Amino acid sequence: MTPIFARSVSHQFRLTLAVILSVALLFANKKLEPAREALASVLSPMQYVATAPGNLFDWGAENLASLSMLKKQNQELLRQQVMMSERLQRFEHLRQENQRLRALLGSPLHMDAKKMVAEVVEVASDPFHQFVVINHGSNNGVFVGQPVVDAQGVVGQVVEVNALTSRVLLISDPKQGIPVRITRNDVRVVANGTGELDQLDLRYVAKSTDIKVGDLLVTSGLGNRFPEGYPVARVITINRDDGQNYLKVTAQPMAALDRIRYLLLIWPDHPPTQEPEASAATTTEDVSQ
Amino acid sequence: MTLEHAHGRLVVWCSLLIGLLFELMPVPDVVMPFRPDWLLLIMIYWAMALPHRYNILTAFVIGTLLDVLLGAHLGIRSLAYSLVIYLIVINFQRLRTFPVLQQSVIIGLVLCCYHLIVFWVQFLLDRPPFSFELLLPALSGMILWRWIYWVLRRLRRRYKVK
Repeated sequence: MTPIFARSVSHQFRLTLAVILSVALLFANKKLEPAREALASVLSPMQYVATAPGNLFDWGAENLASLSMLKKQNQELLRQQVMMSERLQRFEHLRQENQRLRALLGSPLHMDAKKMVAEVVEVASDPFHQFVVINHGSNNGVFVGQPVVDAQGVVGQVVEVNALTSRVLLISDPKQGIPVRITRNDVRVVANGTGELDQLDLRYVAKSTDIKVGDLLVTSGLGNRFPEGYPVARVITINRDDGQNYLKVTAQPMAALDRIRYLLLIWPDHPPTQEPEASAATTTEDVSQ
Repeated sequence: MTLEHAHGRLVVWCSLLIGLLFELMPVPDVVMPFRPDWLLLIMIYWAMALPHRYNILTAFVIGTLLDVLLGAHLGIRSLAYSLVIYLIVINFQRLRTFPVLQQSVIIGLVLCCYHLIVFWVQFLLDRPPFSFELLLPALSGMILWRWIYWVLRRLRRRYKVK
């Protein structure tokens, strides 16, 4: 049996120690990034184990899918593929024309970037932030600040990398701002996250700005984080309040942030390698623009 | 004796590991706001049953691991876990003698404390809006407590964890 009175003193001591250490952690968060990364690498198999039961259910459901359902799905995919390849034919022609014109003007040519398909590992994250975890990490060359897109538009950027997985901050997180321009007239604005998955705020838009509901916003390439020309959002409401100095504009992200499954990681400064997977990814990506 | 001790330690850490996995496990969006704090409930049990072995510093380590796995700012949950387990550890004798129902109510209040501490530190860092949804896990934790208590007590008696 352990003595009671001697222990109660040491509990206070332990609490003080724990509180001091916690506060130290809170303040040194930035500096401890390498240690955190190492620890996260060691712990990342747990993320896979935690998703295993869910994956097992998915796998079971897929295997139990009926023949007619598969046939239907196959037909739909074939139809989509024909449509896509038709667009791709036109796109190829336009690309060559664009390159010729740019060469005539003496502007720098736009290079294709290296891409890689990643899958979202569904694990719970900090409820105060909007993160998703993906199944590629520094072993695949993922780096902090890397742009991430899906088939419809920009999803976010990588904020934390460990060996096997990495964490992507969605564009809808209040901490995230992304420089965009309106495709119709090249006006530059910044789209900020609001904390809602289906809403972005455009801040500091002057009242005289030419902006309409339905305008498409694409990345402007300013800030050197996101490469130019990826769709980000579409303007849904414009609120002209005379009491305010600026317009209140909200936009809806193009990417379906609430049900993302497959994502594309982009290496803006690397030319694509000629792999079948990479080239397939390029085509789906380019057609969607 | 030492072998038995090692055995007991293994049981405790395994249960904590399972709690950690439950924390990470994806759940449907409907259940999401009610998701109980498995890890904290398991930690509370061990702090109540064996306060001289598993106490504030264990909670600190567990909290830090959870912060890393959730991708949160380091130190938030280590602080909250340490404070909550301190409350348990200084009152463990009283808590043990309470009937299960009364215990559940106390655990519910303690869980509320935990969520408020996490929110408060988060608020100092980047001012998220407060909503009462944050306290729903305390409710589900309160309901689950008696079963968690029962399962872990059986485990403890079966493996004679001391």
